[in-house]
Amino acid sequence: MAMVTLATRLAGPWLMRHVPATPRVAAFLEAMSTSVIAGLVVTTLLHSGLREGGAVIAAVVLMWVTRSAVAAMAAGILMAAVWSAMAV
Amino acid sequence: MVSNSAVRDSTRQVRFTTAGVSRGMLRLMPVAIFVVPFGIGFGAAAVQTGLSTIQASVMSGLIFAGASQFAVLDLWQSPLPLFSLALVALAVNARHIIMGAALSGWINQLTPWQRALALVTLSDANFADTQASLRSGDPEIGYLLGGGLILWLAWTTGTILGATIGSHAGNLDQWGVDVVMLAFFAAVVCGDLRQGARVLPVIVATAVALLTVDLLPAGWNIIAAAVAGGLVGAAQHGR
Repeated sequence: MAMVTLATRLAGPWLMRHVPATPRVAAFLEAMSTSVIAGLVVTTLLHSGLREGGAVIAAVVLMWVTRSAVAAMAAGILMAAVWSAMAV
Repeated sequence: MVSNSAVRDSTRQVRFTTAGVSRGMLRLMPVAIFVVPFGIGFGAAAVQTGLSTIQASVMSGLIFAGASQFAVLDLWQSPLPLFSLALVALAVNARHIIMGAALSGWINQLTPWQRALALVTLSDANFADTQASLRSGDPEIGYLLGGGLILWLAWTTGTILGATIGSHAGNLDQWGVDVVMLAFFAAVVCGDLRQGARVLPVIVATAVALLTVDLLPAGWNIIAAAVAGGLVGAAQHGR
């Protein structure tokens, strides 16, 4: 398991060694790097509920306004904590 | 041409410095603090499944990939189904391949040993942080290793705590701790868009992730989403 996991970490750049770095390839990789994170967010949200959705909205709003990921995380945590407190 | 920032930067000389590693640790400290409770959760669950404290701790130390570690607990039995465990590890962690490929323009400028060192702690959060800083024009790969090291420390420490004292540390979910990673990733996507990343690939990736989640084995819908988003980005290029 450890070996397989390590292999997944090393494989990406290794596979790309001989792919020419054309602007189109770079555009593919750049779009892919935001998309993989977006995919993670959506998949997590799908397996959770409104509380997590509220936390994501709070984080996105704070990020848009402040450009600070720490502020965004704090807003997400606060939103989820308040949501839990209200639900109890 | 903000949207071509990575195109421009990947031709710039990459840096891999100890100062970058230290800064990477500091940058992801706020995330890593909240990884400790996840580690505690894993350590406690592993011991309940029948792993020893040592086994659980070594597993976190060597594998350092939470989702796949939780997944294999479901398969834990005697004798261990090693092939199935390896398959699960591959499926859940295959997104590392995508993330590594996305960083290849910078990573492949390094020597082979530096590449291995930079990648050994590659995971979701330090990838997200590093791709954001590369996008903003800071060609430093040390952030990847530094961020990975602090996350690794938090995950392993949490696992040891959880395996030793159980989950008595309490369930912190009511304080919102469980949404930290989700909020961080959402913030990074938002930050990328502010940095000039195109919107359409993200919309398509989101749709593909939703549409394929029930069709594909766990984890692969994220890969499908990433590739779809990448293809849209490539198709848009030059327009």
